[in-house]
Amino acid sequence: MNIDRRTFLGSLGAAALAAAAPPLLAAPPRRKRIAIVTTVWTYLSHAQHMGDRFLIGYPRHGRWHDSRLQVVSLYVDQKPVGDLSRQRAEEHGFKIYPTIAEALRCGGDKLAVDGVVIIGEHGDYPHNSKGQVLYPRFEFFQEAVKVFERDGRSAPVFNDKHLSYSWEKAQRMVADAKRLKFPFLAGSSLPVTWRLPPVEVPYGAKLDEALMVGVGGSDPMDYHALEAMQCMVERRRGGETGIKSVQLIEGDAVWRAGEEGRWSKRLLEAALSRSDSLKGWSDLDSRPQDLARNGELPKLVQHPAAYFIERNDGLRTTLLMLNGALGDYCFAAQLADGGIVSTQFFLPPTPNVTYSACLMAQVEEMIVTGRAPYPVERTQIASAMLDRCLDSKVAGYRRILTPELNIRYRAPRGSRFGG
Amino acid sequence: MIPSRFDAKSPNASFPTRRAFLKGLAAAAVLGPSAWAAERRRPKIAALTTIYHKYSHSQHIIDRFLEGYGWEGGHYRPAVDVVSLYVEQVGDNDLSRERARRHPGMKIYPAIAEALTLGGSNLAVDGVLLIGEHGKYPVNEKGQMLYPRYEYFQQIVEVYRRSGRAAPVFNDKHLSWNWDFAKKMYDTAKELGFGLMAGSSLPVTWRQPSIDLPFGVRVEEAMGIWNGGMDGGDIHVIEAMQSILERRRGGETGVRAVEAFRGERFWQAMTAGSWKAGGWDPRLLEAALSRSNQLSPAKPTYSNVFPSLDDLRRLAPNSYAYRFEYADGLKASIVQFEGSVVGDCNVAARLKGGDYFSVLFYLPYYSMRNFFSPQVHHIETLFQTGKSPYPVERTLLTTGMTAAGIESLYQQQHRLETPHLAIRYRPARQSTFWRT
Repeated sequence: MNIDRRTFLGSLGAAALAAAAPPLLAAPPRRKRIAIVTTVWTYLSHAQHMGDRFLIGYPRHGRWHDSRLQVVSLYVDQKPVGDLSRQRAEEHGFKIYPTIAEALRCGGDKLAVDGVVIIGEHGDYPHNSKGQVLYPRFEFFQEAVKVFERDGRSAPVFNDKHLSYSWEKAQRMVADAKRLKFPFLAGSSLPVTWRLPPVEVPYGAKLDEALMVGVGGSDPMDYHALEAMQCMVERRRGGETGIKSVQLIEGDAVWRAGEEGRWSKRLLEAALSRSDSLKGWSDLDSRPQDLARNGELPKLVQHPAAYFIERNDGLRTTLLMLNGALGDYCFAAQLADGGIVSTQFFLPPTPNVTYSACLMAQVEEMIVTGRAPYPVERTQIASAMLDRCLDSKVAGYRRILTPELNIRYRAPRGSRFGG
Repeated sequence: MIPSRFDAKSPNASFPTRRAFLKGLAAAAVLGPSAWAAERRRPKIAALTTIYHKYSHSQHIIDRFLEGYGWEGGHYRPAVDVVSLYVEQVGDNDLSRERARRHPGMKIYPAIAEALTLGGSNLAVDGVLLIGEHGKYPVNEKGQMLYPRYEYFQQIVEVYRRSGRAAPVFNDKHLSWNWDFAKKMYDTAKELGFGLMAGSSLPVTWRQPSIDLPFGVRVEEAMGIWNGGMDGGDIHVIEAMQSILERRRGGETGVRAVEAFRGERFWQAMTAGSWKAGGWDPRLLEAALSRSNQLSPAKPTYSNVFPSLDDLRRLAPNSYAYRFEYADGLKASIVQFEGSVVGDCNVAARLKGGDYFSVLFYLPYYSMRNFFSPQVHHIETLFQTGKSPYPVERTLLTTGMTAAGIESLYQQQHRLETPHLAIRYRPARQSTFWRT
């Protein structure tokens, strides 16, 4: 065995190291066959850095891990300049099919794979009036579901990032997976990447308030931040109870809301204390600074945004998108017992982006074991809260009641981050 | 001859320990709050540095005392005051003047002795930061930059002797480029009875995963890897590895020999397949590389690839290694990939029984270089308690290992016996790296 954080934490020293390594001569089990369904496979696209993990292995627990999954087929929707799909297929011996159904059936007449990995990120797709890119994840998923229904057999499905730009489509996807009883895993890599420090909200803790700080554009990057926040707050007492209302505000209203106590300055200080990449003075001459309190924030952030998400159990959670203030994703929560939990969701640098190895390890586990390691409802609720926040924005930044987001679930107790 | 005034029983011996300080507080509580007690609560610190510019070590360390830093969910302001600063080289990119303007409690002095006496005749501070990194200094025939840490230290000690009082010293990175200097620094601190803390920030920064070597396990062989930089880079890898290995069964016993590898010899060692065969355990290299977040892609269009031996040779032809033989039989190598293989420092160890331990020492190379934060936190403990939170013998040993490795490289890669590195110590069981 290798020593990882969990076994280390669970060990009392040398005792945990006594377990014998698996015998070297045991025959390797048959690798599970997967189809990748993607929008585009170019250098540094999600399909490239996720799909490649199954082709050439990835770092895991101090070994270069050879995937237990075998890519046998690929559907790729667009082949722009820089397309790598043909080269990968030739080098690694899988076939590219012109339709999703054929990829899932490997050209035959029955489902011929043990798992489907849908990566609908990057590529040239239209935007809607809310600023969302209309990636065809729902449509890809429906193609897979059609095959499952017709062939009378299903396989585990992974969907990269939010289920869909539309909360209704997301809801239908989850319902289809439940109806056909196949394991369904989705979401961002942020919940499973390394954390600095490596902490969780204590399971079952009562929370008073939570705050997430993120950067980047909408709707790719706010999604990551929302799901990161979700994987922390879902552990609270009583589990996730669904969303009561959402509101998105922008501009100076964000600072006023802070003055009025709609979001906590103390939690902002805690979140920013976890950042490694503050801007302004820190960019200029590398000095650390108390950016939550030194008055610099409004000068640095020209277009702040606050996403207020009120939960059915009364918990207030806020995402602040602070472009210009920092470069990383940090979380803080006020526990009812007076403590504060805060951490940075660490995104290892390009080009390795090893956070995607952390996520693909979860995908591999689902397809090998037939069980999703964490609930798809996490991704569903994060997809839905983003969609409805953008509705709030186009509706004049109004607060919107969201009885349709009555999404209730319990998070697993075990931690899944790092690797 | 040790002057009797440095006897630990003398009230002037050194900065009071925290316990003594608390006793003092209790007395003050009886007598009512006194100016003395309030004054003693915040130790006064002198900072001595070669140069102070953006991304210099002095900027990272001194700035944290002046500006505070993110720590455990808040912006933390240390409970000590940097009251004086000496900067040897002041160039166009200097920040010391700007810092002194914004922090008028910190005065700049033109000489080390004056910074320590605050312009008076006797030692007037309770702790000293010695940061001799960066700046322009001569390079010797072995390629070492002759940073004047020893010379600064001698001037500090001169003030201590003259004043009949000493104060704790933090020395950034290795004690010196020169083993004899380092040993004298260590011996002098012992002789005068003041707390000496030193070393790299790597042992105390974040780790991925966030683990330490289980205390007291048997280790057979270890390896540390990074991307080169003889001397200045070596000390970081060696000390990161040492902070792991010193926890092994029996504690530290010292190093008895070193052998350097470069050029064709290095690549032969790389393919030897084991220590016995003249190289190292390749599983250690795999484990160390597999902790990295910064592997240079060895293959076009792939973004995270495990490199083959041919890739390593192509990407980093001038790589080198030091193999260290410890007194208790432990074997350890550092492999420095000069070129483009790995961008971060990783350490792996094979334990008795065949298990592998491996860890990345994470250095956030973003605007603030926050890996200095845990180090500064520990330095504050030195100043508050008078004692280094981890043994300075670690840095004494790694200083000697670094110098010996360079010497072996310089002497045509001959294996050198290192009887002077028979340094024994035991670390505390409690880990000191950043976890909170």
